[in-house]
Amino acid sequence: MTFDDLTRTSGEWLRGTGPESDIVMCSRIRLARNLADFPFMSRASRGEKAEIEETIKRTLPKVDGDLHYVDVQTLSPLERQFLVERQLISRELAASEGPRGVAFGTRENMAVMVNEEDHLRIQVMLSGLSLPDVWDQINHLDDQLEEHLDFAFNGQLGYLTACPTNVGTGIRVGVMLHLPALVQTKQIDKVFRALQKINLAVRGLYGEGTQAFGDFYQISNQQTLGKSETELIRNLSDVVPQIITYERTARQAMVNERRQHLHDQVSRAYGVLKTAHTISSEETMLLLSSVRMGINLGLIDDLEIPTVNELFIHTQPAHLQKVHGAPLEVDERNVARASYLRSRLGTDRTEA
Amino acid sequence: MHLTESVEGTLREVHLCGKCARKTGVLPKPPELGLDAVLDSLIVTHVGELVGELAQRTCPDCGLKFMEFRIGGRLGCPNDYEVFRPGLVPLMRRAHGASRHVGKVPARRRPEAAGRLRLRAQLRDAIAREDYEQAALLRDRLRPKDTPT
Repeated sequence: MTFDDLTRTSGEWLRGTGPESDIVMCSRIRLARNLADFPFMSRASRGEKAEIEETIKRTLPKVDGDLHYVDVQTLSPLERQFLVERQLISRELAASEGPRGVAFGTRENMAVMVNEEDHLRIQVMLSGLSLPDVWDQINHLDDQLEEHLDFAFNGQLGYLTACPTNVGTGIRVGVMLHLPALVQTKQIDKVFRALQKINLAVRGLYGEGTQAFGDFYQISNQQTLGKSETELIRNLSDVVPQIITYERTARQAMVNERRQHLHDQVSRAYGVLKTAHTISSEETMLLLSSVRMGINLGLIDDLEIPTVNELFIHTQPAHLQKVHGAPLEVDERNVARASYLRSRLGTDRTEA
Repeated sequence: MHLTESVEGTLREVHLCGKCARKTGVLPKPPELGLDAVLDSLIVTHVGELVGELAQRTCPDCGLKFMEFRIGGRLGCPNDYEVFRPGLVPLMRRAHGASRHVGKVPARRRPEAAGRLRLRAQLRDAIAREDYEQAALLRDRLRPKDTPT
């Protein structure tokens, strides 16, 4: 599997299937684990980091999922950014130094980051609202890894992590939601305040500190100690349907009260994406968000959700440059982005 | 110093010298000079007295001081959870509202890992001292039994 192969495919979590997938882009769980007989990352020597990497690499072929290891240390900054855009590695792993990497399968719904903040960050992502399935898969992967690796664990505190905010289960349960109507009707802040009150975190598409773009928001637990994994999953699973209901209600109100205006907004967005000759990343996200909602409301009928989902990822800077085969400046990227969008959406579209 | 305090509507005048004012807590104590003392006093001011006593505690396995954890926010090794327990418990209670794990437990546990963590600490020391003979011995002890030499 090469980077060129990756530019022609996309993760299974983008296929737009699964329950509530008009609003829930994907469900994701990650587990933080550390090898019991090594220091955590901040205190590990370069040699120890290499040993940790080697120990984990030796184990990966013994688990299901056909995971291929990519040595992030040897990648160019562009290739690292490419993996970040694809949600396969964190910005932290891309930016840090020393021996580190990521293993993932061809379907891209399973990834194991090595030497991030913790020795292992295991992630499983599935399309739609499907947290129990995600948990079954990641729990199985964790069990298999645990057959071969000694994880730092303490009877009272659970799995020990570099940061005490992850100790215990080491779990982060999250869903990525597309909430354009709550954003447009300015109700989104109210929803966030309510979520913060019940100790849930809200982040943008690319994790901590990133601005929500394309009206995508990740909602996840903050507590990791004192509740079991299934309880934490249930907490989130109980809340998400309420947010979905709010979003649907807001969409319905927009359809009822301003149908023509909404139809116009969606059609113009689609029109610009199909015909522009230069377009920024921000404008693309904004317009794709309108188009995505338009498809779900039946206002656009010649475009599929998986295509739109994929465009959110494939129109980002590193993807465009990988497809183009050479580094591009901002202006050149905007031209390349418009050209790519026309090829996927315009009258001369060629299905990728 | 001349102070006027109002207690339930009655004014009361107090006259104190600087030393007595510090003793009674009216004036804050000036921090002692010297970087360590200044740092300690800063920590006591911001994090509380307990940390002042804890701040110098050092993990024998990874060499991390609790004070360094408070600055960097990351622990250095699994053993830190034992070494810094009094400082970490209030922090975990604040973050999680709990201090006991109730979730998944590994199917099997190998207690020898903690010993290997200690051996690695000794190995790092030996390398730092350039005691390569000792380092080689420690490396042998750390080598997994199923790995060919």
